[in-house]
Amino acid sequence: MESLCLSMVTYVVRRVFWLLFVVFGVMTLVFFISRVIPADPVAAMLGGHAPPELIEEMRDEWGLNRPILEQYLAYVWQLLQGNFGVSMATGRHVLQDLVEYFPATFELATMGAAISVVLGVILGVLSAVRRGRLLDHAARIAALTGISMPVFWLALLMMLLFYYVLGWLPGGGRLPYYMDPPSRITGLILLDSLIAGRIDMFAIAFKHFAMPALTLSFFGIAAISRVTRASMLDVLGEDYIRTARSKGLAERRVVLGHALKNAMLPIVTISGIVYGRLLEGGVIVETIFAWPGLGRYATNAFLALDFAAVVGSTMMIALFYSLVNLAVDILYVFINPRVRYD
Amino acid sequence: MRNLQGGDFPEIKEQEGEWHEQGDAERREVLSMKWWAYAVVLATCSMVVAPVLGQIPEDTLIIGMNHDPFIDFAPERVYELEGMFILEQVYDQLVNFTGGEDAFKEVKPGLAESWEVSEDGLTWTFHIRRGVKFHSGNEVNADAVVFSFQRALDRHQSPIWIMEQFVPEKDMIQRVDEYTVAITTKEPIGEMLFSAAFGYQGIGCVLDPQQIQEHATSDDPYAAEWVAEHDAGSGPFKIDEWVKRDRIVLTAYEDYWQGAPQLRRIIIKDLPEPTAQKLALERGDIDVAWNLLPEMIVELRDQDGIRVIQSNSSFGYHYLAMNMGFEAFSHIEVRQAIRWALDYTAITDGIMAGSAVKNQSIVPVGMFSHLDLSYAQNLDKARELMAKAGYANGFDVELISRTDQPFTDIAAQIQQDLKQININVKITTMVWAEVLRVFRARTHQLVLARGSLDYADPSGAATMMAHCRVLGDDAEVRQMAWRCMYCPSGLVDWVEEAASEQDARRREVLYKAIQALVLEEGPFVMLHNTLKQVAARECVAGLEIPASWTYTELLSVSKAE
Repeated sequence: MESLCLSMVTYVVRRVFWLLFVVFGVMTLVFFISRVIPADPVAAMLGGHAPPELIEEMRDEWGLNRPILEQYLAYVWQLLQGNFGVSMATGRHVLQDLVEYFPATFELATMGAAISVVLGVILGVLSAVRRGRLLDHAARIAALTGISMPVFWLALLMMLLFYYVLGWLPGGGRLPYYMDPPSRITGLILLDSLIAGRIDMFAIAFKHFAMPALTLSFFGIAAISRVTRASMLDVLGEDYIRTARSKGLAERRVVLGHALKNAMLPIVTISGIVYGRLLEGGVIVETIFAWPGLGRYATNAFLALDFAAVVGSTMMIALFYSLVNLAVDILYVFINPRVRYD
Repeated sequence: MRNLQGGDFPEIKEQEGEWHEQGDAERREVLSMKWWAYAVVLATCSMVVAPVLGQIPEDTLIIGMNHDPFIDFAPERVYELEGMFILEQVYDQLVNFTGGEDAFKEVKPGLAESWEVSEDGLTWTFHIRRGVKFHSGNEVNADAVVFSFQRALDRHQSPIWIMEQFVPEKDMIQRVDEYTVAITTKEPIGEMLFSAAFGYQGIGCVLDPQQIQEHATSDDPYAAEWVAEHDAGSGPFKIDEWVKRDRIVLTAYEDYWQGAPQLRRIIIKDLPEPTAQKLALERGDIDVAWNLLPEMIVELRDQDGIRVIQSNSSFGYHYLAMNMGFEAFSHIEVRQAIRWALDYTAITDGIMAGSAVKNQSIVPVGMFSHLDLSYAQNLDKARELMAKAGYANGFDVELISRTDQPFTDIAAQIQQDLKQININVKITTMVWAEVLRVFRARTHQLVLARGSLDYADPSGAATMMAHCRVLGDDAEVRQMAWRCMYCPSGLVDWVEEAASEQDARRREVLYKAIQALVLEEGPFVMLHNTLKQVAARECVAGLEIPASWTYTELLSVSKAE
């Protein structure tokens, strides 16, 4: 047990080191790509008629006229001091902006991923158990639809149905206009409202989550249910399952206790991928549901070529994606004790 | 030993039977997983059953708007339209542009009740209205005005060039006495132009010096950080709350000098998606939808309970620019022929679907000195002119257009129209940043673009489209005229004269002449001014959108249920 802990710790440390390396690499790549684009962000920001002298002045102020390598080294130096730079558009520190907008995306992504995993696994298991039956076919069609339907269309359909026609769910935002947000501790509304003891706010915020999280989860449900089904079918055909059944074990125990547990590895993998994808912040879902998240912030930054914000956002996403991958790998060990990292 | 037979082991048979039963039962239990699924769905649904959202109170106006452009509310920095719209409600300026359709034909008093200009035309003396109070209760006086402008110059943010171009030094702004301010300009300029700069929401806003000083720190002597999220104004509304990308809440200022607003509260809710705004408006969850697409406006016009409100004009326009360096376009007849050849009705009424007003002059409709130069398509005349220039057989030309709508549709229409006079147009689409680059590099032949005036004075239009003395890179102004290699030397003198002319009538005449001449010989085809269109519930009264929608006043808006 001790040796397991030690090898785990060394593994994690090694992975964290690689993680930082990867994030650094992403930063470098994005830095150079964004500056190679021929458009001029300062000119775009100041508008078509700004006097050229003003544009030049601003470019100097932002250090955009210095050689690109010099700009890069300057950026790395300030990064090492914890300064992600200043956004050209908002004039605020990028780190401040990221802290402002990332929690909303994180919360939504987590909700969406949770729904994807729960519904995906349930659907997948049922499809495997009822293989070839109506449920299996229906699930397959639903999965195909979930993967192929454009998010934009799906989101608008949901809004039309659940908000406009039925009036069950609110039409956007994290809270209704008459509710002030809770004091910001984590930036996660559900958590902060619980900490503040506002159950009513929690319930209403939950309702606001419903449509965007569900929209985001469609793709995840589809992917996870298919992988679950395949993995389950794989496992259900194994000898030890037959043994368990012939031992007289309850079918439910066989399926859930033995088969599912052994089928977990691919399911956890796909869940990690789905979660990572959601963490990018779907700009489409965030725009349609008026969600103040990283997707909108990053997209606006890209369109305006707001360099510091672009690089900062990308680094954030890369960081969390890598963390999710690391978490999945660690989870493997607990699911399958035979997995070892040396 | 007897023969063992199944029936000899009743216990096993019993057990078998049990197993079978158990098997069925367990399979039923697995099915019961379905019930888990149902339970989850039901739980989710029960969260969904909503208490009915109450009606919006009558004294509160809810506007659905895209919050993405908002950066902050620092008057010295605000340069984006949405920010200026908020500042219009929260701050006052020396002068006002108000009065619906005629808002931009003449300047009205604001915090200054009257003003005059010195003999040499360089010094403007403003008499500040007495008894006006900031939201803090402090009085608005000359000190506040001087402080505000000097602070803006010191802070030196992007929009300051509008003020700096006339008033580059702080000491050119002086307090004469408690209610009188004198502002000296570098050169004489017309009243409208001066007002447009100092009536600009943003750098022209008057701030409460005491509040700024209260929130100043050694690192931030101008309280830039505080003023970015709060207000130090005297306008009809106060900034109550700003939750980024969620809502802006304005509350009424009861002691406003023009009278208390009729609304008690205005909530500007973040709804970046036009469809979401439309649905929310139709459901009655918002009162005004600010960012609808033209097709949605068309649809909503006929809808019960909803009214479309639009401006009569705007400072924005679409136009076609010809590069006079291209052989064919160096002939004035060809340029005129192209102007006669286009089907303006199809473009403005058809493609723009009511979201634009036809305007063939460089000065927007409704602005001071606008000259109505309407003409319609006349293909015969166009062909005649082409023949006169020696191009009866036409020529090939490349049209550069933006990739988004409505530019692609308009470009296609132009291509179709010019085909009628034997001009073969090849359309090349690019993103705006690229179009701008090509335009500035003067490597284009024809460009379809969108432009707008920075502030409420025709001098901007005249300078951009008619000021070019030399074609080299040393030209003073390198805007549209220069980019099209259009150098009307005689006209340039008029452009400069008009900017500094202080007699309003003479100024008007000069600008009308400039407009007429540019239309006659210039390389531009002006198509239309785009309109700002919003949709509101019928109970919203008193909402008018002026030509520059940032000057929309919510002071006189009310809701009548």
